Amino acid sequence: MKPKNAKDFWSGVMFIAFGLFFAGFARQYDLGTAARMGPGYFPTMLGLLLVGIGAFVAFRGLRTAAEDGHGHIDRFHFKPLILVLGAVVAFGLLLRPAGLIVALLALIFISSLGSGEFKLKEILPLAIGLCLLVLAVFIWGLGLTIPVLPAFMQR
Amino acid sequence: MDLVNNLLLGFGTALTLSNLLYAFLGCMIGTLIGVLPGIGPIATLAMLLPMTYALEPTSALIMLAGIYYGAQYGGSTTAILVNLPGESSSVVTCLDGYQMARRGRAGAALATAAIGSFFAGTVGTLVLAALAAPMVELAFKFGPAEYFSLMVLGLIGAVVLASGSLVKAIGMIVLGLLLGLVGTDVNSGVARFSFDIPELSDGIGFVGVAMGVFGFAEIIANLEHGGEKRQVFTDKVGSLMPTWDEVKQASGAVLRGTGLGAVLGVLPGGGALLASFAAYTVEKKLGGKNADPPFGQGNIRGVAAPESANNAGAQTSFIPMLTLGIPPNAVMALMIGAMTIHNIQPGPQVMTSNPTLFWGLIASMWIGNFMLVILNLPLIGMWVQLLKVPYRLLYPAILVFCAIGVYSINNNPFDVLMTAAFGAVGYLFFKLRCEPAPLILGFILGPMMEENLRRAMLLSRGDPTVFVTRPLSLGLLIAAVALIVIVTLPQINRKRQEAFHEVD
Repeated sequence: MKPKNAKDFWSGVMFIAFGLFFAGFARQYDLGTAARMGPGYFPTMLGLLLVGIGAFVAFRGLRTAAEDGHGHIDRFHFKPLILVLGAVVAFGLLLRPAGLIVALLALIFISSLGSGEFKLKEILPLAIGLCLLVLAVFIWGLGLTIPVLPAFMQR
Repeated sequence: MDLVNNLLLGFGTALTLSNLLYAFLGCMIGTLIGVLPGIGPIATLAMLLPMTYALEPTSALIMLAGIYYGAQYGGSTTAILVNLPGESSSVVTCLDGYQMARRGRAGAALATAAIGSFFAGTVGTLVLAALAAPMVELAFKFGPAEYFSLMVLGLIGAVVLASGSLVKAIGMIVLGLLLGLVGTDVNSGVARFSFDIPELSDGIGFVGVAMGVFGFAEIIANLEHGGEKRQVFTDKVGSLMPTWDEVKQASGAVLRGTGLGAVLGVLPGGGALLASFAAYTVEKKLGGKNADPPFGQGNIRGVAAPESANNAGAQTSFIPMLTLGIPPNAVMALMIGAMTIHNIQPGPQVMTSNPTLFWGLIASMWIGNFMLVILNLPLIGMWVQLLKVPYRLLYPAILVFCAIGVYSINNNPFDVLMTAAFGAVGYLFFKLRCEPAPLILGFILGPMMEENLRRAMLLSRGDPTVFVTRPLSLGLLIAAVALIVIVTLPQINRKRQEAFHEVD
């Protein structure tokens, strides 16, 4: 049976998954009693509640069409998703070993590929400008302790 | 009089040179970021929060409040000039503001928004100052059972007043509560859901969650459409002076908007967003038929009322945050997070234990509102230039500030990776039309709710009826149930859908 409102159906599935995840792992923790709740009590309750809510939403999604007629899920655009988040991940991974400058350049270049209108002669000055701005504001201005240069070049 | 003394103390704190500077900087940077389309106050606050770490708590909060107003006001500018709401509370401003801009009256619309906001901000600040002391007194009567019930009411209020599906919003709250529980349990010392990752035993950072779910997810969603579809009416900002006729029309709307906004801001779940929607609907109901020009085609009342209301609401939503330590909306949840980072435990004790911070913040709110007027009207030209920067150059810059901001919270790259993960989750939410704001609210309230539930149940020796036998707690719970019943009534529900539909 095809859900009449896919957005609702899959939202419900997502809630059920999260609820099961939390309620499931909460089993490792002591439940305690109502008067003396252990660390497992509240998460178990909430997890089960979330499963219930998810089941309701998913069931409704199966049966009832969306009021605005947009029940289908719009296409996922994986290119900007992967490039933008990949750029952030690259920044996080590069920051300690390669320093701020390299990490920033990676972040700017990878993420700007996501717009689909990448022009090197635009992005290069942007990257240089942003690096200088970041150095001026965060390093010299606010004095944050972020490694600027790659690890092997630091004293 | 106490009020006067308190305000004097506040102005004494806020009017020092350095605090004035921080208020100014906050307003300036907040507007700068808020003007950029697609970045609302929540993302702006999350992004700029790290800049305030080095400051002492009072200055930091003053600056954050400035950022909030700036972002809010910047959103209105974008709404009027580009027809893109910078944030959800200026969605309704788009309707008439943009039409005014198309008719060459952008200047008048911007001036009306600024002056209406300032008036509303002044009233809101006074209401806040006057209500703070009695609210704090009430708060001291609250036991854990009352706090728990109040949080239930707040969370229910937040979803009832949000657009979209009620059940899905409740699901998002519960998910938020659960995510908030990750980390070491204060009572037992057990690290919950940390999977032996040391960073997770300290809990998930709320800045990362907010930035990922709001900031990153929005950037990705914006990139989907590709290309530029914006049209800025740069050459037609026109005279800032409204005509006499416009002034007459607008002043009534400003007054009504302010009153409505001030009341709605205090409600749990209320704040700027609800206030602006309600004010617009009221204006439309009051003689919307023979309005000239009609609503939706550039009526100045359609700008004046929601803009005043959202500012009044923004102001008074600080009341539950400052006096009870309970955030009525996602923005205030971020402010609570900011206070905690500065080692201030939010709650009724802040006013007595930290009076300079408390009253200084309130006074600086008014100063911030004043600055916005002098900052924004002359600088409109500059904001317009900023709007002309193409998005493909803007978003890498936004990402840079986000990434550095998240990293600098704990100087730990793990937080950056975590934020990216929440960006992916946020994109999924966006595709499934699950509103992320309730999630943030739940996230902040999770640990507080658990703590108060535990204490209440401990005191009652495990008897759950404690929540309905204590009158204050019962009243709060009844209010929560009533809210749900009211919204699920068929005719009200239809009206609610209509109200949100109008602005889609």
